[in-house]
Amino acid sequence: MKSIIINSLLLLSLSAVLFSCKKDFGNLNSPTVESFLGNAAQSDLNNLVSGTESGLRTSLAFYLDDVGTIGREGYHFSASEPRYVTDLLGADAATLSNSNFYINTPWANAYRVVKNCNLLIQAANNSTLITSDQKSGYYGFARTIKAYQLLLNLNLTDSNGIRLDVSDPDNLGPIVSYSEGLAGILALLDSAKADLSAGSVVFSLSSGFNGFNDAAGLIKFNRALAARVDAYLANWPDVLTALSESFFSLTADFNLGVNHVFGTGTGDQLNPMFFPQNQTGEVRVAHPSYATDIQPGDDRISKATLRQATASLSGLSSNRDVWVYTSSTAPVPIIRNEELILLYAEANIQNSNFPEGEKALNIIRNGHHLPNYSGPVTKDALIDEMLYERRYSLFFEGHRWIDMRRYNRLNELPLDRTGDDIWSEFPLPVSE
Amino acid sequence: MRKFKLLAALLLYIVMLPTVSSGQNRPVSGTVTELNGKPISGATVQVKGTTMGTVTDEAGKFKLSAPSNASIIISSTGFRSQTVKLEENASNLSLVLEEDVAKLDEIIITGLSTSVKRRNLANAVATISATELNGVAASQTFDGALNGKIPGAYINANTGAPGGGMSVKLRGVTSVYGNTQPLYVVDGVFVDNSATSAGLNVITGALAGGSVTSNQDNPSNRISDIRPEEIENVEILKGASAAAIYGSRAAGGVIIITTKKGRPGPTRITLSQDLGEIKASKLLGVRQFTAQRAASLSNDSATGVALSQEFLAAQSAGKIYDYEKEVFGNTGFARNTLLSMSGGNEKTTFYFSAAQKDEGGIVKNTGYRNSSLRFNAEHHVSDNVKLTISTNYINSGAGRSLTGNDNKGVSLGIALSSTPGFAELHPDKLGNFPNDPFASSNPLQTIALMRNNESVNRFISGLTLGATFQRSTKSTTKFVAQGGFDFYNLETNVLFPSVLQFQAVNKGTSIQGFTKNLNTNYILSLVNSLTVSDKLSLTTSAGLTQESGDYNNLLNVATQVISGQSNVDQAGALTATQFRTRFENDGAFIQEEASIMDAITLTGGVRFDRSSNNGDANKYYAYPKAGISWNLTRSGIFSREGIFDNFKVRAAYGEANNVPAYGSKFTSMVVSNIEGLPGSLINIQRGQPGIKPERQTEFEAGFDFSVLKGALSFEATFYDKHIFDFLMQSNLPSSSGFSTSWLNAGNLRNQGVELGLNARPVSSRTITWNTSLNFWINRSLVTKLTIPPTPQGSFGYILGTFQIEQGKSATQIIGLGGPGGSIVKWGDAEPKFQMNTYNEITFLDKWSFRFLLHLKAGGQNVNLTSLENDFGGTSADYDKVSNKLGVPDAIYRIMSIGSTAKEFVQNSGYLKLREIGLYYSIHKIPVSYVKGIRIGVSLTNFLTVTKYKSYDPEVSNFGAGFSSGVDVDPYPASKRADFHISMDF
Repeated sequence: MKSIIINSLLLLSLSAVLFSCKKDFGNLNSPTVESFLGNAAQSDLNNLVSGTESGLRTSLAFYLDDVGTIGREGYHFSASEPRYVTDLLGADAATLSNSNFYINTPWANAYRVVKNCNLLIQAANNSTLITSDQKSGYYGFARTIKAYQLLLNLNLTDSNGIRLDVSDPDNLGPIVSYSEGLAGILALLDSAKADLSAGSVVFSLSSGFNGFNDAAGLIKFNRALAARVDAYLANWPDVLTALSESFFSLTADFNLGVNHVFGTGTGDQLNPMFFPQNQTGEVRVAHPSYATDIQPGDDRISKATLRQATASLSGLSSNRDVWVYTSSTAPVPIIRNEELILLYAEANIQNSNFPEGEKALNIIRNGHHLPNYSGPVTKDALIDEMLYERRYSLFFEGHRWIDMRRYNRLNELPLDRTGDDIWSEFPLPVSE
Repeated sequence: MRKFKLLAALLLYIVMLPTVSSGQNRPVSGTVTELNGKPISGATVQVKGTTMGTVTDEAGKFKLSAPSNASIIISSTGFRSQTVKLEENASNLSLVLEEDVAKLDEIIITGLSTSVKRRNLANAVATISATELNGVAASQTFDGALNGKIPGAYINANTGAPGGGMSVKLRGVTSVYGNTQPLYVVDGVFVDNSATSAGLNVITGALAGGSVTSNQDNPSNRISDIRPEEIENVEILKGASAAAIYGSRAAGGVIIITTKKGRPGPTRITLSQDLGEIKASKLLGVRQFTAQRAASLSNDSATGVALSQEFLAAQSAGKIYDYEKEVFGNTGFARNTLLSMSGGNEKTTFYFSAAQKDEGGIVKNTGYRNSSLRFNAEHHVSDNVKLTISTNYINSGAGRSLTGNDNKGVSLGIALSSTPGFAELHPDKLGNFPNDPFASSNPLQTIALMRNNESVNRFISGLTLGATFQRSTKSTTKFVAQGGFDFYNLETNVLFPSVLQFQAVNKGTSIQGFTKNLNTNYILSLVNSLTVSDKLSLTTSAGLTQESGDYNNLLNVATQVISGQSNVDQAGALTATQFRTRFENDGAFIQEEASIMDAITLTGGVRFDRSSNNGDANKYYAYPKAGISWNLTRSGIFSREGIFDNFKVRAAYGEANNVPAYGSKFTSMVVSNIEGLPGSLINIQRGQPGIKPERQTEFEAGFDFSVLKGALSFEATFYDKHIFDFLMQSNLPSSSGFSTSWLNAGNLRNQGVELGLNARPVSSRTITWNTSLNFWINRSLVTKLTIPPTPQGSFGYILGTFQIEQGKSATQIIGLGGPGGSIVKWGDAEPKFQMNTYNEITFLDKWSFRFLLHLKAGGQNVNLTSLENDFGGTSADYDKVSNKLGVPDAIYRIMSIGSTAKEFVQNSGYLKLREIGLYYSIHKIPVSYVKGIRIGVSLTNFLTVTKYKSYDPEVSNFGAGFSSGVDVDPYPASKRADFHISMDF
């Protein structure tokens, strides 16, 4: 009789195993999109804000290498990745491919951040736990960052365009032209400005936004970006208007602005643009013309320090390291006052207000231990001078190639090997 | 409740079953020999219908006691079983076994708890015996020992690093992004074969984007823990037609491993010792520099002058080095010790083994160690109840170094590729290594100071209970419960101290990984055998199954590590990642086998399965199977006195699934922090809530025959395998914010032919030659693709890439180089065909000579190893001029980048002498307690004939998945020579 009981118990436990019902284990590793779209609390939305800010940095090195290499600011020598010196420089028959990392990675990352911004907007919109001006604060941040990311992609693909409307992954908006793209980005910045004006900021940003981490500060950041876009559109009066609403100042520190910051904390990132000096193998060196074209006394030579030994690869060589980012936690500027001063100079020159343009240029020159500008005061000469200052002031911050392109001067960039090419734009990624 | 009562009663009945009373016993003895009079040792002699039995000794003699009127069955591998009715006088019986090269009497497991003899089998099931697996030459790991031995398989080593890492594909690619690897079942336990990355991507950046792990980290896969020496037999179910009853995990085929069991009789103790040497199979050689060549490494004239002076100084000091040899030229010492003990009586048998191996690698400070304890026991509780237990504890470890693809110039091969022989990399008198001025890392320093170790503690245990609770003259019914678990802890220990050249930014990196995995499974079934008449018998089985898995991986990445320390708290910065997966599959099955006149066998069955990995976790999928085999000789259509001793035609059909990868239904948010602010960032993989499993149907048909009294047999099989709704990680327009999404993207097909010939061309008293020759061929075709052609995991059209495209082979490799800059096909990972031949020649009673040859004809790899060397200016043939432009070959190859991928898609066909061994046995030994000694010498992978221009044509640096055959500076393959001695006590 005892054994019957024991056997029955055995079978009972067995059947419990057999007929257990919990078969869906859910996602064990992370939250899901759905969990944010339900009814997100302020802390959830703040996680999306930080994820967005953090995500901006992921493919930064690819973007800066793309723009810096094609713009002949420098080379990335890599023993393991030849395409930095073949495809990007157009060696022999090599061309830019639509299936390679140099376009796919930065492009995808920018749109990933855009997607995160869209998710933030949607989650904030769905949330009943925050006030409407708090919602506006999230919208304003998300739209400003979206515009910035779209601009970076448009900088790469230029006349090949971008998609502006990507909110529905199953029904993506059309690829729009360069000018439509810029107009769309500008409109996005304007709407973000309106959001921020009506909104309040209840989220924390990193120290990269120090001084700009409230609604008023974010508006200044937003307008600084708008000034850059207006300059690309050659809307010179608008550049000046935007600058006046930004943190632009002829007297403030050149480095005042908004930065990507880096850290060693968990889940954080290190500055991918930092290579120690005199490395071998994996190096980022300045184009030889950086040192040969610089004016005597210009302290910006310190951005390209002399190496102990010349680095060379595949018929290219340089004896100067790129030394803009001097530690693994050094910040990378998103936009800073030195660029704004130069935009101010550019707009004034373009508006034929030469004294004001010259004044701004001299502020830059004097700031770098150069005497006042002494060349001819003509539009062309001042534009040349402005491009010189931009080249050295914004070295390896992602501008040279785009500046030369918008002034139709790509053919002035140096060719180092017979058979090299200077590309004017990247193809759209094959996935598009 | 009624059900429980019924079952309870049933169990009680089993426990209380009376044992069959054994009547009066009497002694039986005899000798078992081959036709030519040679004694057969180790043959099983069993009294029919009982558990009584013994095995023959070295002289073929046996003794046992049996009831009068009993029959005895004598069986031995390679011979036909024989049943003998005992006469009055049953001493000194002379029993002769006929040879059976076709292994017609081999028992093949065809159901979850049923089996049939090969002669009645409807499928082409490959089996590998212990001798074939492990008796020719030494292999480091079990999966390595399978290589070249399975007709219909395509096996590749992902890396030559100690501890293995193999990819096994049966009958073509069965999945693009899903699991392509077979399910391994060891004594009824579904064992884990995952590969856990140690987080090397942190160091190499092989996969851009800052991920901690990637498919290029070349970890070992866990089936390598199993020791080949403990295996009795391996059975390979190559596709759904044979494996459907394994349901949702059978799509890649099933490899059923049976470990050694004891046999009744005196206790046998065997002690084996192997000693060996491991060396690189091939080195590529280095460029011979001259002052002018040294100068040409730079286009800067001043640097060029400095380089040529550096070269001349090194040359006059006699300091030109062959760094490839210094890095990959180490000779690893290998030792392997195995102590086994087996025996038992009629009620209980056991097998115990203790084994340890320790093998060095071709790179210093690398190697493999494996210690294993196994205890298998079988106990007859009564004549009706049998309990089988197998337990195995394994401790394995490997030091694997840093090789393969890398975007930071730190892996050994990449660093070598740009380091000329006149550079000085050796440490100074104080032991400090100089920086390599030509690369990001000094490979000698890396080898000396780094650590990349795996260590595993694993316990695998299986239990089978078979209880016959109903027995009559016509019917017996058995309850079979089988199950077990596989549990391991895996530690990965990666340390790159701060003094390393490339640790200038991170100042020391320590990556400590901890993984815990538990797999469990059970099968509860009822099996009824019903003899309807002497012309018809039926076997019915039905049951329930469950498999579950729980995997938890924690990786801690510490940087700014305090010198000499590896603990992750001894560091300035720490990042942790955790990854978990869980699944549970539940199933039920029923299977019916009918044997008509012992000539026609019909099989039909169906399994129902659900899996927590499917989009709909509660939906049951059905996997039917059916088979027919018709023995034409037994049914009298072919006379048995005619040409054919045996002629069988067969056909089988089955379906199986491959469940989606864990987590493919979710769009997850990954962590991405900034300055201590916790951040959530959307994953680049879009979730697919409606994801379905891949469905496979396979039809196979063939015929087998044997002639010349079983001395020659031939087997031919054709199969047609379709995969529906195959899973792909499709590339989404990345402007959606997502890069990939799982998708049921289309259908693909594999068709192939397998031919096998087994023969004993020579059989005399002094010499016997057994040979088998196999030929196999597979072709795949993507029959439907609902998305545009998709390039797959490689280096793009410029260097050659796989591409899934409707109407094309699934494994095609395409790239630039067509007319007008178009993209054309340059190759296919699929071999044209493969062949192998296994031979065993025994002569003069004492000698045995065995070898295995393997031919892979055609098939291409994407070879970037030689390209890296060209770029670094160090390829051995750099300055050779054999091209039409008259420039150095390396320059020519570099110039072709961007115009054609032809140079990089290379034929990887080969002929390999995989294993060769010569063994000598001594039976007459003056010392009485030693019963036998065997000594031998063997060579493994010693000879490879290939035109392929890298270390080894068998390579897959992108892991075990779909994209095999990508070659980027791997850990080179090795060859080995071993001396073996083994003693029986």
